[in-house]
Amino acid sequence: MELSQRERLSQLVEELSTSGQPQLDQQKVKELKKICRVSSDCIDHVYHSVMSQLSQDHAEIRLSAFQIASELFGRSHHFRTLLVDNFQEFLELTVETDVEQPLPPPKEVARKLRSLAIQTIQSWQSSYGSAYKKLDLGYHFLRQVKKVDFQDAEARTVSERRREEERQRRMERIYKARVEAAAKDMEESYQDMEAALTEMESCMKLLFPDFGLSDLHAVSGRPAGDEEPCCSSGLNRQDPDGRPDPRDKSGSERGPSGGDAERSHAERSHGDKRSGGERSNAERSHAERSGAEQDHRDKRSGGEREEDQGGAAGEEEEGGTKAEMEEDGERAEESSEEEDDEDSFIRNSGLISHTYSLDVSLSPVLRVKETEDNEAVVSTVMELHRLISTKHLPAVQGWVQVFTKSHAEPQLLRRALSLRRSLEAALQKHQELHIDCKTRVRRVMKASSDGEEEDDDDEFEEVPEKEGYEPHIPEHLRAEYGLDPSPSTSTAALTPKKAPASRPPAPPLPSTSSSSSRQLKRLIEEEQDPTCAAATLRVLRQKIPLLAESSSSSSTAGPASCQSGSEQKAAEAPVVPFGLDLYYWGQEQPNAGKIIKSASQHQFWVPAEVEEEVENQDLLAQSKSRFISFPGSFVPVSHFCRAPLGNGTLCQRQDRVKCPFHGPIIPRDQEGRPCREEDRRREEQEERRKREQEPDWRDGDLMRDIEAATGEDLGSSRVGGKKRKGKKKKYPNLSDLKQSSNTSRSRLEKKVFNKSTMRRVAQVLSKADSRKHDKFSNQFNYALN
Amino acid sequence: MLGFLSARQAGLDDPLRLRRAESTRRVLSLKLNPDRDVERIHGNGINAIDIDAAEGRYMLSGGADGVIVIYDLDNHSGKQQYTCKAVRTVGSRHVHRFSVESVQWYPYDTGMFVSSSFDKTMKVWDTETLKPAEVFEFEGNVYSHHLSPIARKHSLIAVGTKNPKIQLCDLKSGSRIHVLQGHRAEVLSVRWSPRYEYILATASADSKVNVWDVRRASGSLFTLDQHNGEKSKASSQAVNTAHNGRVNGLCFTSDGLFLLTTGTDDRMRLWNSANGENTLVNYGKVCNESRKRLQFTVSRGCSPEFVFVPCGSSVAVYALHTGKLVTMLRGHYNNVDCCEFHPDYQGAASLPAGNPAFQDNWSSDED
Repeated sequence: MELSQRERLSQLVEELSTSGQPQLDQQKVKELKKICRVSSDCIDHVYHSVMSQLSQDHAEIRLSAFQIASELFGRSHHFRTLLVDNFQEFLELTVETDVEQPLPPPKEVARKLRSLAIQTIQSWQSSYGSAYKKLDLGYHFLRQVKKVDFQDAEARTVSERRREEERQRRMERIYKARVEAAAKDMEESYQDMEAALTEMESCMKLLFPDFGLSDLHAVSGRPAGDEEPCCSSGLNRQDPDGRPDPRDKSGSERGPSGGDAERSHAERSHGDKRSGGERSNAERSHAERSGAEQDHRDKRSGGEREEDQGGAAGEEEEGGTKAEMEEDGERAEESSEEEDDEDSFIRNSGLISHTYSLDVSLSPVLRVKETEDNEAVVSTVMELHRLISTKHLPAVQGWVQVFTKSHAEPQLLRRALSLRRSLEAALQKHQELHIDCKTRVRRVMKASSDGEEEDDDDEFEEVPEKEGYEPHIPEHLRAEYGLDPSPSTSTAALTPKKAPASRPPAPPLPSTSSSSSRQLKRLIEEEQDPTCAAATLRVLRQKIPLLAESSSSSSTAGPASCQSGSEQKAAEAPVVPFGLDLYYWGQEQPNAGKIIKSASQHQFWVPAEVEEEVENQDLLAQSKSRFISFPGSFVPVSHFCRAPLGNGTLCQRQDRVKCPFHGPIIPRDQEGRPCREEDRRREEQEERRKREQEPDWRDGDLMRDIEAATGEDLGSSRVGGKKRKGKKKKYPNLSDLKQSSNTSRSRLEKKVFNKSTMRRVAQVLSKADSRKHDKFSNQFNYALN
Repeated sequence: MLGFLSARQAGLDDPLRLRRAESTRRVLSLKLNPDRDVERIHGNGINAIDIDAAEGRYMLSGGADGVIVIYDLDNHSGKQQYTCKAVRTVGSRHVHRFSVESVQWYPYDTGMFVSSSFDKTMKVWDTETLKPAEVFEFEGNVYSHHLSPIARKHSLIAVGTKNPKIQLCDLKSGSRIHVLQGHRAEVLSVRWSPRYEYILATASADSKVNVWDVRRASGSLFTLDQHNGEKSKASSQAVNTAHNGRVNGLCFTSDGLFLLTTGTDDRMRLWNSANGENTLVNYGKVCNESRKRLQFTVSRGCSPEFVFVPCGSSVAVYALHTGKLVTMLRGHYNNVDCCEFHPDYQGAASLPAGNPAFQDNWSSDED
């Protein structure tokens, strides 16, 4: 055999076996076979190189080498004899017959190699078994001693199979237990869920009754009935209510007041202003009630009107429209009263002109607004929603998962699925309703006060919500809060008196009078509404004090200004704690800074002459001076470090003087280069020095490893450019076995179990031990060890 | 071969010459016999085999599962391809409960064989009925037993057990008649000399090999000393050791002039059996990790004799007197425990090249 052939063969085998591919390169295999055909010497050589590759500690190399061997095994008798002669070793290297020599990593490839080898050996046995005794023996050895099942595609040994079965059985048992538990669970909570669903359903119905066409007809056909008066009948109906007009007028004299209801609220809130002799409480309550009635009726009539005009507006959700209707009705009513009291038509109808155009805006989505009427229902719905979404639905989902995973009876699964579907449908419906709910906590509180409202026995006062700090406490409430009737002077002395903060334009706070929360809320709402009389009132009230204030300030401008000037000074003067220096302010201190040592009082023993008085400058200074630390005020840093970073951006740190990464902050231009020449020079120098002494963590190998692991560029190519050439990986296609071994644990181990470290530790320990021996060797329990 | 034959025909040569030359040739070209197979009966490893000396036809094998099988090695089918049939199998009521450690035919007849086992018994079997004719029970595991192949004046079985005392059982009376004391640890192997019927060699785990004359009750004739008395004198240790570990293999050459021992120090030594002198033949490293008896053998009738020693999963063939490794017989896939040499497979017609007298195509694997 020629040398070139030999070399070519070695090269081919090495290339093929270190390709790292699961399949061989057919081109190269062909070339290999072609060379092998020349002589049996070539085959000898190939056999030896293949065997040496097979004994490499890398499963990918072994796999490829095995594939080469199986390619040649079918072609060459000589190769067969050679291989079969050394079949023991071959089996050890490929099928892992020796427990002491497991297949090398990576594991996946090793498993593949094993199964491939077993399959191949079986096919060899069937075709060459009779001719090659040892192959036959090896096959039988595998089958009978190693108990390899050649039919099994997985090519597992008995113990592996048993383990697998065991695992499967265990899983089955677990699944069965889970299914049982889930089924039981379902049995138990099925009732609950059904109940929740029905409840939800009925709540929905209450909130949003199904309007069919028939319903619409029924509504529009109703106007004849006295309960649901149409526009005209509403006019007629209003007459009896309009009768207490004189009383109304007396109310309207005090100020522009809107509807009865609003007025009554206003009256309540301004209880002090009320010229209360005219009416008894009973009367007022009656008026209120009648006003409410009227209001309600107005609403109804408005609703009717709307339905008449809107035609198919019946589809509109009831609660949603109600709010709008209310507004419309009120607007109409108010405008009528403001325009002309005498105009009976307007008064009676609440319409200013006969040519109204009413725009009804229908929101495209359903919207349920929470009102007092449906409050209970809404809260129930909310609770149910929460229950379903947090408890029932996850539970059902868990069951479905368990059932599908463990292939339970389809019946159970179907049941769970239908349950889930209905639950999800309920949730979906809830979402479609867009229930506009307020914060629940408040609702609950209100609900309790709502109950009280009916008897109205002044037992509980409605206190407005306060968020901790109250900026203003009404005068009459100070006693209750445990405060002095007037603001204390002490605080005023310390803090320069400010002009009393203008009160927030909040509605007049409800006083001790017993106003229900509902009324309060209504009041606030109405004040927000620019069309309400209450709002106008508020505006007026705000205007008047302003006028008064301005006049007063203009008249007392001179004294006020000078007063304020002194006040300003007082405010600027620092407040210092009282000290010794203040005590002796402006006085001469004869004994200041002197330490007086008393002479000894002893009878016989007289000490040497001592100076009785010692002057101490420090002490003197202390009694006359005072340290006032002046921290200044905080000025936020407005500049950036702007040193160029590795990724092309500029450093965004805002340090006052010095950036911890880039040193003192110096002016830099757009690209982050220093503006001054000397800075630039210094920076370059720094750079050069840094490059020379790379810190050890920037070790090229380590970084390359990390890069390989994370797939991110850490710049290892920049770091160790020179080193890399020498240490180029020999076979780049093979998967790296060392990569896994380079774990944090191994690195730590390298450090901890370092020889010198161990020696040091042992030294310390033995020293401690020997010390113990020295000290306590005469005591038996220390002497023993 | 043909030259030898013609010379033999002409009567020019000694008959022994042809025989020797042919045997040697065959041993040297020994390889796995592709045509001969042995029926697989044993489920586990095989600890001992023996070929009957009377006919050379039947082979005994004792397995680690306690089963004893008798094979017929002769090929009477007329075809080349032949599987040795298992003639009888002892696997029923009288079977050994634990692993069979050694089996041996009665030297003069195939009507009887002896087996010993780890169930602390040694059984003497009647081949016809396959029932134990006699059962000897001992206090410890029986590692090895041996019947003298040439004894005419006695029928003693030497038994090495866990007990350091060697038991001598008499087949005539069916009783244990004698005890040889001298070892300090279990006796792993016992062998009668094929030359003198009263000479017995025993190997023990205390790394000593003793040679006894059973007529002398007082003690052993001598103890083999690996240093030939030079070092042991100097080192004030009066104990003569044959190996530096357990001695687990013992074999006389066919003429009985030499004794081979193997130990767990991975050595094999050749001793002059007349005076117990170490011949200092260097066989190199002979892998040996067995904790039990190692059955190895020496060829018979070759001009340089050969030793066959199990060595891992192969059998090493050494030249007896030079210690040269001739070849490694590789065919097994697991550790080999025993090997036996068939002395006279001579029928030229029935024998293909590569005499499988060496019973190696048996998968005597230990799992």
